[in-house]
Amino acid sequence: MRRISAGALAIAVAMMWLTANTNADQQAAGASTAKPAAASTAAKAAQPGAKPYRAPRTPDGQPDLGGYWSNATYTPLERAQNVTKEYYTPEEFKKVMQDAQARDETQTTPGTPADVHYDFTQFGLDKSQHTIAQNLRTSQIIDPPDGRLPPQVPAAAARAQAAAAERKQQGGQYDRVQNMPNGSRCIIMGGAGPPLRDAGYNSTYHIVQGQGNVMILTEMIHDARIIPLDNRPAPPAGLKQWVGMSRGRWEGETLVVETTNFNGRNPIGGGRGGGGSSDAVKVTERFTRISDDQIEYKFTVDDPQTWTRPWTALNYLQKTNGPIFEFACHETNIGVSGILGGARADEKRAAEAAAAKTGSR
Amino acid sequence: MTRRTALIAAIVAVALVGAGSVARAHHAFAAEFDVNKPIKFEGKLIKWDMVNPHSWFHMEIKGEKWMIEGGSPNQLIRQGVTSKTVPIGTTLIVEGYLAKDGTNKAVGRNFILADGSRLFLGGSAPGQPK
Repeated sequence: MRRISAGALAIAVAMMWLTANTNADQQAAGASTAKPAAASTAAKAAQPGAKPYRAPRTPDGQPDLGGYWSNATYTPLERAQNVTKEYYTPEEFKKVMQDAQARDETQTTPGTPADVHYDFTQFGLDKSQHTIAQNLRTSQIIDPPDGRLPPQVPAAAARAQAAAAERKQQGGQYDRVQNMPNGSRCIIMGGAGPPLRDAGYNSTYHIVQGQGNVMILTEMIHDARIIPLDNRPAPPAGLKQWVGMSRGRWEGETLVVETTNFNGRNPIGGGRGGGGSSDAVKVTERFTRISDDQIEYKFTVDDPQTWTRPWTALNYLQKTNGPIFEFACHETNIGVSGILGGARADEKRAAEAAAAKTGSR
Repeated sequence: MTRRTALIAAIVAVALVGAGSVARAHHAFAAEFDVNKPIKFEGKLIKWDMVNPHSWFHMEIKGEKWMIEGGSPNQLIRQGVTSKTVPIGTTLIVEGYLAKDGTNKAVGRNFILADGSRLFLGGSAPGQPK
């Protein structure tokens, strides 16, 4: 018996929901868990005159954000260069989803460097096998309105050049463990934030609320961010952390979290020739539960030492099942020794080849 | 079959412009394993380490012990897969690439069961016969 394609079913369910909703700003949802109840709840909220959603409360009266949430998405941070509008039509979106699913399933070519990897599909790591929140937006960035990161200031380029020069002085990427990327060394990976960004896979968070604090545990990898809500003063400027230091407060139904005191070694929004944020960056996150199954997640990145203006992005946290298996990553398991060992083996072979060439002259 | 049916019903795939390539490039596999040394091994599973960032299949291949690298187990565990899902002693055919450092290690590009079918640990590989 041939299985029904999970991806095809998923797209069909998502399309049914998206087609039923005409208010573009309410079109976040769908979700790969595809519970009919979730879709109908969101659809009700989109109807004119419907009562606004009110989140359940914790025992001490906070809007309840607790539970397991996924921010896996195929919506890119920046709008693609060839896209000029804010939203896809449902038909365009269907095509975009099908293309992305096809890319997920595409196999690499044997004998190429890209093929030297385990198969994501075999381990359930394709996005099409994840819990994903759907929306028709063409980019996560909603401000600037063109959906793109703002231009960088000259100081950012100078900082990137200085960092590149320092890396060059330290030697090659595989010369010593300290030169390897943060992720390979299991120090921090893309999902930790703030801001919370889709890690690519294992994009799950566990939010726990207690009296006076909110904790966000990141599956990828292992960071547990404690957010005090007691209006305590800002931390001293000299105290720097990988995930910064957060202070939270409730503004009605929205949890607002401001984070500063980053160490600058895990920059936000790098790429396009720029190195991303500095240690002066301030991140403001806004969590608003908009249905039983979704939290609207907006974040603003303000870093005058990097960008000419602040920028704001929007994504969704979609309810998913738990628990989270502890990632317990330690220096990429035995990968670091394998990579460094591979580099030494390459050097030895190159030296032997050079010696043989010299000898044959 | 019930679990798989439930899984299919529970899964809504999606896809917008891809971060897949980013995820797949997160770790320098081509630095650790040799693209010029592809292998195809058949052996028996001795132990499966469900650890992060990458799981390891310990196998006995022609009387020697080997370690074959696979993917993060987290999504599998969420779907109910355990270290006993593939029983010890199962014959696996592994296609992959040897470690550059000469130790008995390889990355497992494809895990194939003795009957020739591909091993889909999560049971929900999109678009694949099963």
